[in-house]
Amino acid sequence: MDKQDLIDRFIFAQFIEACHCLEEGIAPAKDIDLAMRIGAGLKEGPLAWADSVGLDAIFWKLKALSARHGARFAPPALLQQMVEENRLGVKTGKGFHDYAS
Amino acid sequence: MYIFKAAVVGAGAMGAEIAEVISASELPVVLKDLDDAMVAKGLKRIEGIYAERVKRGKMTPQEMRNKMDLVIPATTFDDFGDVDFVVEAVPERIEIKKAVFAELDQVCPGQTILASNTSALSISEMASATKRPDKIVGFHFFNPASVMKLVEVIPGSQTSEETAATAMEFAQSLRKIPVRVKECPGFLVNRILMAGMAELLRVQEESGASPEEIDAVLRQAAGLPVGPFLLADMLGLDVVYHVAKTLEAAYGDRFHVPESLARLVEANHLGVKTGQGFYTHTA
Repeated sequence: MDKQDLIDRFIFAQFIEACHCLEEGIAPAKDIDLAMRIGAGLKEGPLAWADSVGLDAIFWKLKALSARHGARFAPPALLQQMVEENRLGVKTGKGFHDYAS
Repeated sequence: MYIFKAAVVGAGAMGAEIAEVISASELPVVLKDLDDAMVAKGLKRIEGIYAERVKRGKMTPQEMRNKMDLVIPATTFDDFGDVDFVVEAVPERIEIKKAVFAELDQVCPGQTILASNTSALSISEMASATKRPDKIVGFHFFNPASVMKLVEVIPGSQTSEETAATAMEFAQSLRKIPVRVKECPGFLVNRILMAGMAELLRVQEESGASPEEIDAVLRQAAGLPVGPFLLADMLGLDVVYHVAKTLEAAYGDRFHVPESLARLVEANHLGVKTGQGFYTHTA
């Protein structure tokens, strides 16, 4: 068993679903992260996590995962758009959340 | 709208815990189930939660008695004539839910809000069993409800803004943290969690790795408090399977449910409650 691949698949599957929820207007980003922390016991919400990793890195990781495991890992349209607009998360001050410099 | 009295229908683990939460906030709450034995079991669970708090010095025996007195056991709807907010926590089958909602619609005052603690079923469909679809709302607690802070508040397609707002306020008055969620299969937290779980089931099927191995890797690397397979055993694999199938039907391939989970459920290996699931549990 490839441990890193296992961890990636688990974390990125949840991240992609969080993206779909955001795209579909199920809840705003702050509520998605809040609910995942207090309802699922995560230390960090999936969207805040992606912001801290960097959305460009997340995007390329998803490209690699989808090549290896299938289209379900394809980067969501919203993520692609954010990367194109240079909204890359913490490092650019804007991602799923806003970060005051 | 102020809630003076509430009711919970279904005195199973979830229903009892919800009644505990309501009584802990000093509100009278009717706890109703089909027969005395089921209600007694629910009461016992509530008593257990309070007794533990007394033991830990968090409340006095007198406070415990006062809170227990707020729980009104019932096997009929006689005490529902003046309730403001009902939470339904009966088994997760749509036909059972709809029957309960139709009955609640008959016995409760016209302004009463009827909420469902469902984790996966359609709020709008339950609402269709009543003549007050504007007053039906999803009110989803997490397990165990006496501890977990989150409540997902899910308005259905016809739920009024006032009902949604009241449900949000009521959850806050119970010292919970409500998050408003647009209706969709799985709602928010279970949908995201199950996306991860579905992927793990796929890993297991492909690699033949054991649930123990996978849980250990994820606890270590992802900092999860409980491994996902053990968590599934705790929730009950029948519940997990039901939610998983609902999500697969709604969202397709990324929620693919492997045969292995179906086989466990068919064999009545439902997790902690039957002693066998992904893990073997000894009492």
